[in-house]
Amino acid sequence: MELNKEQILTNRLLSKEETAWKELFEAYSGNLTSVCSRYIIEKEDVHDVLQNSFIKMFRSIESFECRGDGSLRAWMTRIVVNESLKYIKQNTDFKLSLSESDIPDIVDEEEPNLEEIPQSKIMKMIRALPDGYRTVFNLYVFEEKSHKEIAGILGIAENSSASQFHRAKAMLVQKIKEYKMSKTAQL
Amino acid sequence: MSNQWLNDMRNKMEDHAEDIPDGLWDDIKAELFKETDKKIVVPVNDLKAQSKNLPKNNIKTLWYRIAGVAATIAVFFIGGRELLQQYYKKEVSQPIVNTVKKQEEKYSNTEVDNIVGKERLYKNYAKKSLIISNKNAVSNIASLHTFNKNSNTFKIYVSENQSTASLIKQYENVIKDALIVENQSDTKVNEVEELFSKEKKLNEDPKLAKKDSKTWMLSMLTGNASKNSVEQFPGYATLNGATMSISDEIWTAGYEDNPLMDILLANQDQQIDAKIRHKVPVTFGLSVYRNLDKNKKWGIGAGINYTKLATELQSGSDSYFIKSDQTIHYLGIPVQINYNVINKGRFTGYVTAGGLVEKAIAGNIKTKYIVNNEIKEETTENINKKPLQLSVNSALGVQFKVIEKIGIYAEPGIGYHFKDNSSFSTIYNDKPLNFNLKFGIRLLID
Repeated sequence: MELNKEQILTNRLLSKEETAWKELFEAYSGNLTSVCSRYIIEKEDVHDVLQNSFIKMFRSIESFECRGDGSLRAWMTRIVVNESLKYIKQNTDFKLSLSESDIPDIVDEEEPNLEEIPQSKIMKMIRALPDGYRTVFNLYVFEEKSHKEIAGILGIAENSSASQFHRAKAMLVQKIKEYKMSKTAQL
Repeated sequence: MSNQWLNDMRNKMEDHAEDIPDGLWDDIKAELFKETDKKIVVPVNDLKAQSKNLPKNNIKTLWYRIAGVAATIAVFFIGGRELLQQYYKKEVSQPIVNTVKKQEEKYSNTEVDNIVGKERLYKNYAKKSLIISNKNAVSNIASLHTFNKNSNTFKIYVSENQSTASLIKQYENVIKDALIVENQSDTKVNEVEELFSKEKKLNEDPKLAKKDSKTWMLSMLTGNASKNSVEQFPGYATLNGATMSISDEIWTAGYEDNPLMDILLANQDQQIDAKIRHKVPVTFGLSVYRNLDKNKKWGIGAGINYTKLATELQSGSDSYFIKSDQTIHYLGIPVQINYNVINKGRFTGYVTAGGLVEKAIAGNIKTKYIVNNEIKEETTENINKKPLQLSVNSALGVQFKVIEKIGIYAEPGIGYHFKDNSSFSTIYNDKPLNFNLKFGIRLLID
């Protein structure tokens, strides 16, 4: 069986070859920075979390099993998310930020269309969400966790996760609406 | 409102890249590089060679080491002298020294705290480092032992350190790094304390050491006499018998940087087995014995005996695993009836049957987390629940009469242990019917 690119890279990573790790870094760090920045706002903190993540990858690469294309990235993403959550837990008063409830619920609206919104704007909107909402939202949408899983991960009640998610979603819908309005105004 | 737009968002953002933080690769490189260099095996007894072996770009690590040595020396002059003398009286066994050496490397960062604190450059963190430096004293003394044979080399380093005031600035640079280690240092210091106290015990109490070796010999003997009991099942396990439940959530749920996490992470894609190994119970006894009939065929005995039960649990893969050693000590009162089959000179061969009431008097579980073949963390947990254990035994025995009224005996036998309702996994609970080996001294009364 022919080895695919990821497997070849993995083999080189296993031998702790510096150039391989540099390659890995160059190929994935932009995307991983994006993943990390969804959770963590401060640039310096993002730096630290990513650094720890790469060290963790370096130390546990033996346990990585290549299961086709994309599995390396999925593995790396998991480590970054895990490290990000660890950081958030250690550095923010998580439960406090989750209990804020001053955002009014928004009743059913039409589904926003994301097509015309650039990635960087969406990123900005996500990053503008309050810590607690953002974390729940990220886990639900990007890590595809259930509310039950999120509740377990963050040590909160399941319905709390659901309501935080609902509010985060409402805030985003609002932001997208505002963005589109400002776009139309400009035209 | 459906959530389809959220799926769109996920897909849309999947290939999104943000600007990589400045200098990230350089920092990672520095960190990982340093790590690889640490793996170079350097003879303990040649500090000079050690400094030569280090590549130039790794000068920072060298300062860590020198700072560590300097801190060690400082403690040496404060309180270590006495201990060192004791150390000379009786050499500590090699494995301990090796472990200590490893510890020393690990702690060199925190030792930097120490020395910097001493040089009054550590103002911002003075309060914190004070506490830590007290604790570190122990680890320093421990690491000192490693270096005891090169006091000459020491002196060279002392003078070097004292004359190089310019190094102070470099120390400042490492404070930041050292601070990161601070959080973890407490548990690790405990570990060293434990190690050190063991070492001290060995030094101060030759009797104890002797006793230890005796136990060891006997367990060796019994190991040959009958099989240890091994149980194996998939997954991780704990010594109280429950299988550890590990779900996918642990990936994201583990917030502390703990070795368990590391082990789970490393083994995530492997088939994991937990193995419980019970060592054969070894019993030492003192008993009195009285003949019941004139032919000296039948007799009754009672006394006191001590049993040590050891169980080993290992879960994980070859180099990432959790190892628990459970030791429980029992004191018991046996009552037995003997029937002497053969009587030849000083030797008596007999069959015996009886009952035994045992109470656990002490016990602990030592758990080691081994990450990449290195002991990352070691915890000791005492067993507080001390159940009463009832059993019935039958054995074949051989007795050798040393002098007129005193005999020594050995009894390989079989015992059945009734459930004691404790949650701990012992051979008594897992294999109620088991083989055992008893030794003892018997006083004959007529």
